[in-house]
Amino acid sequence: MTLHQVGVEVDESRAEAVPASRWRRLRPGDWAVRLGTIALILGVWELFGPTLNKLILRPPSDIVRAFFELVANGELQDAMSQSFRELFGGLGVALVLGLVIGIASGRWRFVYNAIDPLVSALYSVPSVALVPLIAVAFKSIGDPPRIATVALFAIFPILINTQQGVRNVDRQLLEVARSFHTSERRLWTDVIIPSATPYVLAGVRLAIGRGLIGMIVAEFFIGLVGLGYLIIAYENVFRIDRMFVPVIVVATMGILMMGFVQWLEGRIAPWLKKEQ
Amino acid sequence: MSAQVARISVERASKRFSSGSLTVFDGLDLAVRDKEALCILGPSGCGKTTLLRSMHGLVPLDGGRIVIDGAEVRAPRRNVAMVFQHFGLMPWKRVRENVAYGLELAGLPKATIDERVEGYIEMVGLRGFERAYPNQLSGGMQQRAGLARALAVEPDILLMDEPFGSLDALTREILQDELLRIYQLAPRTMVFITHSIEEAIAMGDRILVLSARPARVRELLQVDIPRPRTVASVIAHPRFIPLRDHCWRLLRERAA
Repeated sequence: MTLHQVGVEVDESRAEAVPASRWRRLRPGDWAVRLGTIALILGVWELFGPTLNKLILRPPSDIVRAFFELVANGELQDAMSQSFRELFGGLGVALVLGLVIGIASGRWRFVYNAIDPLVSALYSVPSVALVPLIAVAFKSIGDPPRIATVALFAIFPILINTQQGVRNVDRQLLEVARSFHTSERRLWTDVIIPSATPYVLAGVRLAIGRGLIGMIVAEFFIGLVGLGYLIIAYENVFRIDRMFVPVIVVATMGILMMGFVQWLEGRIAPWLKKEQ
Repeated sequence: MSAQVARISVERASKRFSSGSLTVFDGLDLAVRDKEALCILGPSGCGKTTLLRSMHGLVPLDGGRIVIDGAEVRAPRRNVAMVFQHFGLMPWKRVRENVAYGLELAGLPKATIDERVEGYIEMVGLRGFERAYPNQLSGGMQQRAGLARALAVEPDILLMDEPFGSLDALTREILQDELLRIYQLAPRTMVFITHSIEEAIAMGDRILVLSARPARVRELLQVDIPRPRTVASVIAHPRFIPLRDHCWRLLRERAA
């Protein structure tokens, strides 16, 4: 992550994310630093890891070999299709519910008062603590409780950021809109939605990270399937090289999905990157 | 000069801020004539902007009333347009879309919108910047777009809320000249809020000088400098210095 992106993290209390206007397009030099850091870590790991602890710090070359083994026997593909079903299902639910509740509570005081204590409470409780409850509530160890777990992990950044985005609409622009006789519908499309968009997208980026955590936690606690199963299964038999494969898949997913959202932001909020 | 018909009349208008303790203005009376440019000049924080927003129906009065064309103002009207000190452009709309905003909301046919947008962008000197976003423009250019947006709806009444107040001195003077030129093309009723004496003299047919809060009418001055004007021609005019000194004295005297 660049420094600019770090500024976008939502603080654990309740702050709204900084709108994404400070993100800058990465230059070739930035990429050199990013890839160089990774190469350096991998190099040190490859050379010195095995000398420190042969069993646990298996070198990256072993992990690469393990990756192809798991692809060859089909285990990785099966686990990924299982896990991504949960991930995208859960993120979808979180996105829809987060947007609807976020918009409603950002716009109407009644909804805000009704849900705010609940949101604060659920957001403060470590989501992990609620996972066994979800399993019991669904009376199943199938996909639905795991999707619900991902949604629980992912919903709050989306909900809170959407709410803050809608609440923080520039009052001066609301007045401009009134001055030109806006309708309620046009007020949403001209002012409220565009001004909330950067907040929502910052929330989605955070939700992706939390959703991936939720996915693995759900697979540990509910049914033991997917990438979470691979981690536990190979850890138990000390195949640390194979255990790392799903971990790296999850990390790669995080990078790709957050990059996708950032790209999406450039497409749907082009005014943000046009500064200077 | 202009006809003596009151286009806008403010009758015993009072406004307090919500706490109730702070009186912005109380029992204020004034009349804006048809097709005149009336400048309202007053010290910072005297309630000029609140008065203008009340004229547009953006903030309700606590007492009295404001009448435009015989009807009491309760909400913004279609034949009135406002230019804001903060420009008020939508950052996510390109210049073209910002200028078209009022026309789209008025539901005009697309061909009319295109034609008018092009004409007013040309008039304010923004040709070539139609596709720029506001944050790519200087403050002066942003306000040109704000001006074009207000002119594009072809309002009978223009309300100018310190439109050049946040611009640097040079840009301000250039835009003052532009506005004088545009005003000359199609004179219309204009209420222009400012705290700059020079600007009030350059822009106004009359100047209403307000006292500090609670705002009262100190004096209503006629600016007897002929149009067409430019800022330079106004400053060079023999009436300029006496008018400026007179306004200075009015503004400096503390309300008794």
